[in-house]
Amino acid sequence: MANVETTKKDEEKALSPTAEIKLNVTLIDRAVVELEPRFTHRVLRSLTALRKRTDDKVLRSAIEENYPAGVYYALNLYRAVIKTITGADRAMDVDSAAETTTTTPAQSKPSSDPVPEVEIYLRLLIIHYLHTSKENYAKSVQLSKETVDKMQSLNRRSMDPIAAKVWFAVERSFELGGELADARPLFLAAQRTAALRHDDDTHASLINRLLRSYLHYSLYDQADKLISKTTFPTSASNPQFARYHYFLGRIKAVQLNYSAAHTNLQQAIRRAPSAKTAPGFYQAVHKLFVVVEMLMGDIPDRSIFRRPVLEKALGAYFDIVKAVRTGSLSEFQATLTKHAAQFDADKTYTLIVRLRQNVIKTGIRRLSLSYSRISLRDICLKLNLDSEEDAEYIVGKAIRDGVIEGRIIHEKGWMECEGRKNGYGPEAMRYPLDAHRKELAAAQGARERERELAKEIQEGDLDDDDGGLGDF
Amino acid sequence: MAPRQLQSLYKDLQRAFDARPSDLKKCGLLLAQLKARALIGLIETGLLLPNGEASLNDMVIARDILEIGAFWSIRAKDIPSFDRYFSQLHTFYTDYRSSLPPSKREFPLRGLNLIRLLTQNRIADFHATLESLPLPADEIGVNPYIRHPVNLERWLMEGSYSKVWNAREEAPAEEYKFFVDSLMGTIRNEIASCEEAAYESLPIKDAATLLFFTSQSELLREDGKSM
Repeated sequence: MANVETTKKDEEKALSPTAEIKLNVTLIDRAVVELEPRFTHRVLRSLTALRKRTDDKVLRSAIEENYPAGVYYALNLYRAVIKTITGADRAMDVDSAAETTTTTPAQSKPSSDPVPEVEIYLRLLIIHYLHTSKENYAKSVQLSKETVDKMQSLNRRSMDPIAAKVWFAVERSFELGGELADARPLFLAAQRTAALRHDDDTHASLINRLLRSYLHYSLYDQADKLISKTTFPTSASNPQFARYHYFLGRIKAVQLNYSAAHTNLQQAIRRAPSAKTAPGFYQAVHKLFVVVEMLMGDIPDRSIFRRPVLEKALGAYFDIVKAVRTGSLSEFQATLTKHAAQFDADKTYTLIVRLRQNVIKTGIRRLSLSYSRISLRDICLKLNLDSEEDAEYIVGKAIRDGVIEGRIIHEKGWMECEGRKNGYGPEAMRYPLDAHRKELAAAQGARERERELAKEIQEGDLDDDDGGLGDF
Repeated sequence: MAPRQLQSLYKDLQRAFDARPSDLKKCGLLLAQLKARALIGLIETGLLLPNGEASLNDMVIARDILEIGAFWSIRAKDIPSFDRYFSQLHTFYTDYRSSLPPSKREFPLRGLNLIRLLTQNRIADFHATLESLPLPADEIGVNPYIRHPVNLERWLMEGSYSKVWNAREEAPAEEYKFFVDSLMGTIRNEIASCEEAAYESLPIKDAATLLFFTSQSELLREDGKSM
């Protein structure tokens, strides 16, 4: 134990990667022996930083130090790391090979033999190392498969936290070196096992891996089925929850269930790691969040776009917000074409295309508020519609849907509206909170929310703590 | 089932289908025969639910048979049958995408499936299916078979009903017209309810035009039906 104490003091100065690995190995060992999972968690916390500092030399010395020479399975690890076998290495190889033929394969465990968790941990480091160069991608896939087999055969609860991380690495291997779809059977089988063994961390991690894999290939139906057939473990960590809610948000948005998507994305934001640690995720969630808000008829809060970490990433989205606000189809179309490639990469393109209707609705609303009478021809011109005929139908639909209040006088070819409403019309009475909002789409957004709320009340979906209806 | 019998029935089917005008009855009979014998045979040899061991050629034939079946269903106006054929084809299009040579009937059929979803007002499924198409976003506007239903959906949502009416003539394939026609019933209901809300008064002549009727008597007939 004194050993560990002194090395702890060394942590004050930066540890060399090899030394850090050695320390971690000791910690894992201790975690297993003393049944203290917090040591394992501590080791894993340093994983992201550590793996950036490892290279094949570090890994080689780590293997050597932690596995007394001649242990059979260390050779596999060894070979995975060695890029070129020099003469000296070959000699070492031969030596170890010679030794293994004499030692019995049936393990007679000397006390210095590290626990299996250590092996998995080292494998994890190796897999991450192999991700760093293209030529090693195939090897990483191979090693991933082997590691998975090993993990599954050792049914050890003490391995669970490390296993959860390994699955993430496995997914990366397949994504880089092979076809992500090929990993799916592995994930599915492991997910069932994890559920049975109540291995919550791994279970959560695997559900997320599966969802990501389905969404990568746009298999929304299957993703939906997976969600309905599994229960996400409630004890999962916040980052896992954040991912889960993000995936849910995407699926619901595609299925036109915008209010559910909105709730999920809010949860994702709440549970996500801070913008500093994971800016990529933060940006991705907010991109989707902004689009969903617009699809619900709301205008996203402008302050979102000014946050430093989001300003650049969400620039294209801010342009779309502007086009929707002004109700200009031409501006909308221009912005869409300009940023098409980015939206495609973000997988938000098809959702944004659906905003066309919102642009038209906003445009019509603006016109109805500014004019007490306007010809259909002018409407057609101002909104960039293709014909007067279209304008007539679109306005008729808008009136019926409650977007505006007015009448069409067909023979004269114009639309008449009530003109400017004052602030104390029936709308304000119903939605006193919204009287503050100056945004044009506010009333419309509120109306849509009310409709959805009414629908949810009907379906009995309201949560107890939602809105304080005064019932107890 | 002997492969040669399968082949000859398949050739007969193709001939009957490609004949102008298509011999629908004969197709129906042949398809029934093929289904009864060949498809059971296909199931036996594992072709209908392919598990990767069947020969490439057999799979292509199986796919062709299903495709002809799908088109025939529409011409015979048997839509549930179309649904069945399409769901069977779906496996061929998605899972076996990389192993089989592309079929030129694939996108017409995918487009027809999309319109079918529109007529049933399954908008959520429409969008989900659209997302899962193996096309990058900018090509959706280029492929004529997909562009047609996508535009239809957009016009329906916006309310540009005249565009839908005009799109009838521009359908990329004969079979599309069938679905657009069935959409017209829905559209007319929509327009009627919009007219109710938006116009205080409207001469019957104009109402008829707005509803795409060519004469007032048609309008009155339809009105009677919907009353």
